Amino acid sequence: MSTPSRLGEVMALDRLVHEPARLLILAVLSGAKEVEFGFLEQMSGLSKGNLSSHMSKLEAGGLIEVRKSFRDKRPLTELCITPAGRRALAAYRQQLAAVMQELPDPAASTKRR
Amino acid sequence: MSANVENRLHELESVTRSYARYSRSAGGMSSVLGGVLCLIAYLGGPLLPGTPLARAALIAIPAVWLLAKGWMMRHYYQRMGHVEEWETPLERRVHCFCVAVTLVVAVTITASIGMAARRHAWSLPVGMLGYLTLVWLLVVAAWRWLRSPLDFIVGTFLFCQAALISAGGFYPLIGTTHTQQGMLMSLVALMFPLAALALIARGVAEHRQFHELRLRLEQLRGAPAGEP
Repeated sequence: MSTPSRLGEVMALDRLVHEPARLLILAVLSGAKEVEFGFLEQMSGLSKGNLSSHMSKLEAGGLIEVRKSFRDKRPLTELCITPAGRRALAAYRQQLAAVMQELPDPAASTKRR
Repeated sequence: MSANVENRLHELESVTRSYARYSRSAGGMSSVLGGVLCLIAYLGGPLLPGTPLARAALIAIPAVWLLAKGWMMRHYYQRMGHVEEWETPLERRVHCFCVAVTLVVAVTITASIGMAARRHAWSLPVGMLGYLTLVWLLVVAAWRWLRSPLDFIVGTFLFCQAALISAGGFYPLIGTTHTQQGMLMSLVALMFPLAALALIARGVAEHRQFHELRLRLEQLRGAPAGEP
């Protein structure tokens, strides 16, 4: 594969999914029907504000759904991955695997030197 | 790097799936409690003295179990936050079937009791009202809480035994009755303690799995966001 097309594949990676925190959110959500904000907060180790910001971006992209309600007079935020989000995550995993397969192994080139 | 990212993504998904099981299909110690309560109800119905206190305790068993189940889920197994498990189409169909069966039974029992009451100027003993209430509560419980087949079998028995006790009866123990109907009932009721033992074994296994899951969660929690 030529370098420009390799570069094209890297550039074709979904930027919305590629960001590590958003990738983590999608991976967690793909394992369940519905996830409470608190669980995601603890799993990600992100601050509330940071997590909310990434959630908003994923929601705007149609990859997740965010439902806000109240339980025992306390605000409750629940998230779930949409079918589009599931497809985007699967496609990203495939793309990433393909890109990484095509890249030369830096360890091998160091040995050669 | 790709394999590393892929492994981490898979681990996150797998841990979330295992944690989510404790919202619906896995009960852990609440399953153990359900099994123990089922054995108490099975033996207590015929063996305990028929005092109002003993009867009230046996009638309260299903409510105690469902409350404990919800409490353990919220405050022990899912204390990191509620995560709802995916239901497979087969699980959904089985659950709908179980709810439909309880609904049909409740309608049939209500109709037959209604017809009998009509012959007696619509007068029903208080015990029968309690019986009917518990039969209809079983439909609600089956829809809302009894989501796995073992939970359903044990929960159904607890409600049925409570309903019978409120009407002044109970499921007889095998060998303690000589009428044909009683023997048939005691044979049918024999499956409930067996299901209770299976539920206890399952609960213990789920509780052990939860300890392993907790360790995996601790390892994953707070990992740098740059390494999903």
